[in-house]
Amino acid sequence: MPQGIAQWEIPVEERNGMETNMNPSKQNSQFVTGSDIPVKEVYTAGDVAELSMERDLGLPGSAPYTRGIYPNMYRGKLWTIRQFSGFGIPEETNQRFRQEYELGQTGLSIAFDAVTENGFDADDRRAALTDVGVGGVPVSSLRDMEALFEGIPLDKLSTAVVAMPITACPLTAMYFAVAEKKGVPLSLVDGTTQNDLLLTTICYNTVGNIPPRHLIRLCVDLVEWCAQNTPRWHPVSFASYNYRENGITAYEELGLLLANAIGYTEEELRRHRLKPDEFLPVYSVHLAAHSDFLEEIAKFRAARRMWHKLMTERYRAKDPHSAMLRLHVQTSGSTLVYQQPLNNVIRVAYEVLAAVLGGAQSLHATSYDEPLCLPTEQGVLLSIRTQQIAQYETRVANVADPLGGSYYLEWLTSELEKKAWDYLQRVEEKGGIVAVLESGWLHREWRRAMAECEARINKGETKVVGTNCFEMEEDPYQVPVFRPNPEAGRIQKAKLERLRLERDNEKVAAALKELREVTVKGENVMQATMEAVKAYATLGEICDLWREIYSVWRLPIGL
Amino acid sequence: MPAEQRLRVLMAKPGLDGHWRGAMVVSMALRDAGMEVIYTGNQTPEEIAVTAIEEDVDVVGLNILAANHMQLLPEVVHRLREKGARNVLVVAGGTIPQQDIARLKEAGIDRVFRPGTKLDVIVDYIRQAGQQGETERREGPK
Repeated sequence: MPQGIAQWEIPVEERNGMETNMNPSKQNSQFVTGSDIPVKEVYTAGDVAELSMERDLGLPGSAPYTRGIYPNMYRGKLWTIRQFSGFGIPEETNQRFRQEYELGQTGLSIAFDAVTENGFDADDRRAALTDVGVGGVPVSSLRDMEALFEGIPLDKLSTAVVAMPITACPLTAMYFAVAEKKGVPLSLVDGTTQNDLLLTTICYNTVGNIPPRHLIRLCVDLVEWCAQNTPRWHPVSFASYNYRENGITAYEELGLLLANAIGYTEEELRRHRLKPDEFLPVYSVHLAAHSDFLEEIAKFRAARRMWHKLMTERYRAKDPHSAMLRLHVQTSGSTLVYQQPLNNVIRVAYEVLAAVLGGAQSLHATSYDEPLCLPTEQGVLLSIRTQQIAQYETRVANVADPLGGSYYLEWLTSELEKKAWDYLQRVEEKGGIVAVLESGWLHREWRRAMAECEARINKGETKVVGTNCFEMEEDPYQVPVFRPNPEAGRIQKAKLERLRLERDNEKVAAALKELREVTVKGENVMQATMEAVKAYATLGEICDLWREIYSVWRLPIGL
Repeated sequence: MPAEQRLRVLMAKPGLDGHWRGAMVVSMALRDAGMEVIYTGNQTPEEIAVTAIEEDVDVVGLNILAANHMQLLPEVVHRLREKGARNVLVVAGGTIPQQDIARLKEAGIDRVFRPGTKLDVIVDYIRQAGQQGETERREGPK
């Protein structure tokens, strides 16, 4: 060991003859990661003595994929720029999609409105007319999906259908039907459905859920069907981004990510229809890039190592694709700040860099104006350009896993992994993901996390520039605000009235009857869902059928 | 504060916007400050007004992170007033642009707390303004 290194192992206050520029007793308590893990002032080889290069790191493109899933990483293919868009009526979102495509975006991502996320039609009495088209785009039938992708070449890009669990089968079926009409065969249709069990049961609350034990059946039906019919489609993207946005730590994010993947896998294996290697390769994930720059990079690396371990050891996966974690990353909306909103541009850029240094395959740079409104056109442009600057100017894409081997990063990667396995074990001891959802345990955990997070900001322990430090009386930046089309509800309602008159209602009734039978018999619902949407059955009609069979589940949220 | 004078607060989300972190964090802070908080989550404006009256609350806290705050927030106030609930304090929070706040005040939203507002500020304000309203409701306006 070089002379002097050993001294760094001694706590700073006990060192003799070394100059320090701080008062350790005063500041030490603040030196924690974003997940509250205490950190030393410097890391050395001693902190990673137990790490085996071969077993724990490997090379990029080789197991356990800690350093990335491709040997040459971004030299082979830059990450996909995939912003998340949707508002107003489908025709308006279609214009936004076309703009994004022309700006060089290589993947689309559909943000549905809250009405659609609930599995309701735009004219449903459970929704207010003003709920339609405000937080995303309404899609009630195949007609809306057709309008959404009018003139867009689906063979040239991939799409994320960010559908909630109860809507995942019908909305994906609508997308597939549009692709087929455009001449893109199912064998080539490329993209992802979000389809994460936790999305509407805890991350984002809807009132139209069925009980989680039945909901997971629908989720896994889509996985199972796509594994056999659409080889390029990822029918689930475990969205730990959304878990994290509720205030939990980086390692809790990873623990729940695996707990959920285990839940899906067990549900499929219980059916004895497919072997692990026949469906594990279609899984994908969607992680958050939060504000602690190095902790997030460590998290992406830990995620890949854990995924590999889980799939090869527990499920005995042999196909490398089963154990290779493909990452879609989104920069954290909850780290963005309402006050002095232009500062968010910088936050997003740091988080983008963390995602890239962490080896993401696809990236959504959240728009700087999201604390105020849905993204404006300028906000989207800036997000796309932020990513292109990272791709073409920073040169960080030249070398795979450029930070691999850093003492601190490798120590933190292992530390997060250890804590994540512990958290996963807590969930498994309580019966796994469905059990902790149904019992309300997970909701209580998240409430605790929310409160702790906020308390730290309230006390000033977590600093947020512009909110609890460097505040200004008058906001120095004037930024435009996006206003969705106030007529969206009325327009969509009129379209639905017309649809219900024009479609072949006997055909719709027959398709829905078939879907009901398949559902009750416990067969895979996806083929029957495809037939129903092609007959122009609506999203609400399909989801109501499932709600009738399984009843509506009330979220276990209280004080 | 004696139990019979504890402020009663209804925390609700008008419409279908499903973000619950903000409303829950504020609910917990108000509860920890000694208030009785009823968290109902998503409800229609009509349901919120009915709940507020049935539960005899002093304060209604509303939260929206979708862009329909200009429609749904005034509608809650309207439904409350229509049913004769005059002195119930209505406050709101969420992703509400600065330029909308004046119009919401005109529509009867007593105070809009912007994202990033310290919890202490919200608690102190509700304690003070809610208490005033509670007294007026019991004794009639001065």
